[in-house]
Amino acid sequence: MALDDNPFTEAVLANGLRIVMEVMPSVRSAAAGFLVKAGSRDETPELAGVSHFLEHMCFKGTHKRDWQQISIAFDEMGSYYNAFTSKEWTFYFGWVPADQIDRQIELLADMMRSALPGEEFDVEKGVILEEIAMSKDSIESLAWDLVHERMCPGHPLGWPTLGTEQSIKALTRDQMAGYYRERYSPSNIALVATGRIDPDRIVATARRVCGDWPAVDVSGRREPPTLQGGTVVQQAKRFNQQAVGSVFAAPPAGHPDAEVARALARVLGGENSRFFWDIIQKGLAPRAEAYWLGYADCGMMMLDGLCLPDKAEPFCEALEREADKITQNGASDDEIQRVKNRRRTGLAVEAEAAYHRLLQVAEDLCDYDRPRTVTERLADVQAVTADRVAKYLTDWPIVNGGLFLSLGPRNWPEARVP
Amino acid sequence: MTTAVHQRLDCGIDFAAEPMPDRPTVSFNIRFRSGAAYEPADRLGVARLVQHTVSKGTAEHDGRGLSDAFDAMGIQRASGTGRETITFRCTCLPEFVDGAIDLYAEMLRTPTFPDDACRVARELSLQELTALEDNPMDLARKLINAQAYGCRLGRDPLGTAETLAHIDRAQIESYWADALAANRMQVAVAGPVDAGEFGDKFESAFARFGRDGDDAREPIPLGFAPASKHHPKDQEQDYIMICWPGVPMDDPAEPVERVMVRVLSGGMSGRLFTEVREKQGLVYWVGAWVARPRGWGMIHIGASTTPERCDKTYATLLREIDRLAEDLTEDELRRAVAGIASRSEREADLTQARAEDLGDDLMYFGRPIPVAEKLAKVRAVTVEDIGRYLASHPRDRLSVLALGPKPLGG
Repeated sequence: MALDDNPFTEAVLANGLRIVMEVMPSVRSAAAGFLVKAGSRDETPELAGVSHFLEHMCFKGTHKRDWQQISIAFDEMGSYYNAFTSKEWTFYFGWVPADQIDRQIELLADMMRSALPGEEFDVEKGVILEEIAMSKDSIESLAWDLVHERMCPGHPLGWPTLGTEQSIKALTRDQMAGYYRERYSPSNIALVATGRIDPDRIVATARRVCGDWPAVDVSGRREPPTLQGGTVVQQAKRFNQQAVGSVFAAPPAGHPDAEVARALARVLGGENSRFFWDIIQKGLAPRAEAYWLGYADCGMMMLDGLCLPDKAEPFCEALEREADKITQNGASDDEIQRVKNRRRTGLAVEAEAAYHRLLQVAEDLCDYDRPRTVTERLADVQAVTADRVAKYLTDWPIVNGGLFLSLGPRNWPEARVP
Repeated sequence: MTTAVHQRLDCGIDFAAEPMPDRPTVSFNIRFRSGAAYEPADRLGVARLVQHTVSKGTAEHDGRGLSDAFDAMGIQRASGTGRETITFRCTCLPEFVDGAIDLYAEMLRTPTFPDDACRVARELSLQELTALEDNPMDLARKLINAQAYGCRLGRDPLGTAETLAHIDRAQIESYWADALAANRMQVAVAGPVDAGEFGDKFESAFARFGRDGDDAREPIPLGFAPASKHHPKDQEQDYIMICWPGVPMDDPAEPVERVMVRVLSGGMSGRLFTEVREKQGLVYWVGAWVARPRGWGMIHIGASTTPERCDKTYATLLREIDRLAEDLTEDELRRAVAGIASRSEREADLTQARAEDLGDDLMYFGRPIPVAEKLAKVRAVTVEDIGRYLASHPRDRLSVLALGPKPLGG
């Protein structure tokens, strides 16, 4: 199978609903999802967590089905389904045998018109509070939230996607309904379908089940956050490891340097990387990572990990040393080529499944506002060079400044100069 | 779907291949029947140390050089140690298959076990043991395994701080020499390959590999006994784990049990999700699953919830176990079967999934089983079958564990 045999078809319904489809003739399954431009950055402080709570509520009842009928419908068609909410998007999806794709789209579409049943609202609130409790038992989740809170102070990107125990307890169904009416306008939603599909039929189904959705005006997003550096130390005695690391400003999603940022993260962290050989294989920590986070109008490069508390100093020194080294000497051509080789195989794997392509197309719609073929994605990877990495490190430095984080049983460092 | 090929290679390897000519990748897995259950009792954790150190240097390459050689071909690698096996997984583009096999043979046959790499691997295992304390779900799984599976199958592949302290390079090398051999090895491949050529390549690459000792084909004893324990821990939620013996993979009742567990926990309409989460909002996470060491089966249920909801959650879980025998409907059965069949159909395009399924067949049945044959058994399951299964496999012996601030019923 050639990697570029995946043409896209697009359509827009009269109410503004965008439909993006990719036909994959060599697979036997199909996948579909509704991508909603609604995430925690669209929330006000009193609505913190409403996007994620709303995602749960969309499974709890429509004007045609109660929650049990929704669950049964998914399982009757043998769907692999779920939904997730991020800071900027909510995505509802299902992966089914190809002959079930129309039913799958009809069901997902029905959920997008949730009745937000009042009797389910309080029950589901209990589930959300349990999810928040669960996240408090995870040092990674706490570190993630702390990084965003301190990097984006006072900005909704800095608020936790789950909300807080207080905000969820105080949230009312009417508040959620107001948020829902606006953010779930068809002009703010895209239907994505991939796999063994007939685009004409998908459009016809979408017109039938989504065509009468009323369009409403959707307010724009707030201005980008001004990312803040500094030092944040938070003691959490009940954990056994220390989460430490540094976070730096990086390009936003869809930026021409986005793939360079990804490549840099893979030279530093992950399999056969500098962190792997020079930090993990020195016994300093079992986890040392680098990754790039791209949001719509800002980005972050995170160099972090988890270590035993008494190894926090040498671990942090090693992270800084590696950042210094690559800033001064750059990445080698061989390192870049290794990243490209791994990515090439990864993209081939992802091209095998309707589900993987569904997630990729959705990601591209978030980042680029258009889908990219596997070939185009690969071309962007191949265009990364050592020179571009060097320039990136000048434009988006990963030394000095940034936010330093330390979370765990040690109150360390007590006073660290950023 | 092409029929799978099965062969016992002259070198002793169990080999199976499923040619998938139109796929862009090849996936294969190499499993050694050499997991944690085979370790000497005073060297727990050594199998995983072998898994981590074989890649840190060979006769031809140092550790970085070997990784670079894999990366030169863009090979996706993964490895893991479980209670029964050490597994190495590979996915690559078809043109790199021969090169990948050569590198795996070099890595598995000629490791040099550098001193530093062995020392660091042991140190990292100790750190991982500490890290596990910060991951309540994984910790709860480790604890229920230790409690319910007995002294060999209940081992955690990480080992213990006590045993790791005494493992050195010589012991790592010794375990490799004893436990990694062609007669304890199986290979399953899926993708655009010629099965004959692929098998020949493995034959020549692994000829006379390892000692011709025990082939480790016999199931390992399970040491189940009913128990109920509380492991106090300062955290937000309690993790509840319940398990009891089921049937082994090759038991005629296995398809019945598989459908039954899916009734409990297949999708959002599964009974546990419906009764514990959707109706009462008691949990975010609840689920049921089956673990099947060769010769045995164990059914698990798990949930996490805040302490004040713990007893109600536990009571609901127990009630749902009992209710299976009371009011199972044809619709529930049909959905459970649809879920199992649909997964097979969705994953039929994926070389990684097919290779994994083929590897399971070799492990449990000693030969590939056609997907259609397996699905026919699942589709034949009736409500009456599940009733009979429940009557003949009463859940009167439970192993129960709570990890968190509150004991069950306390």
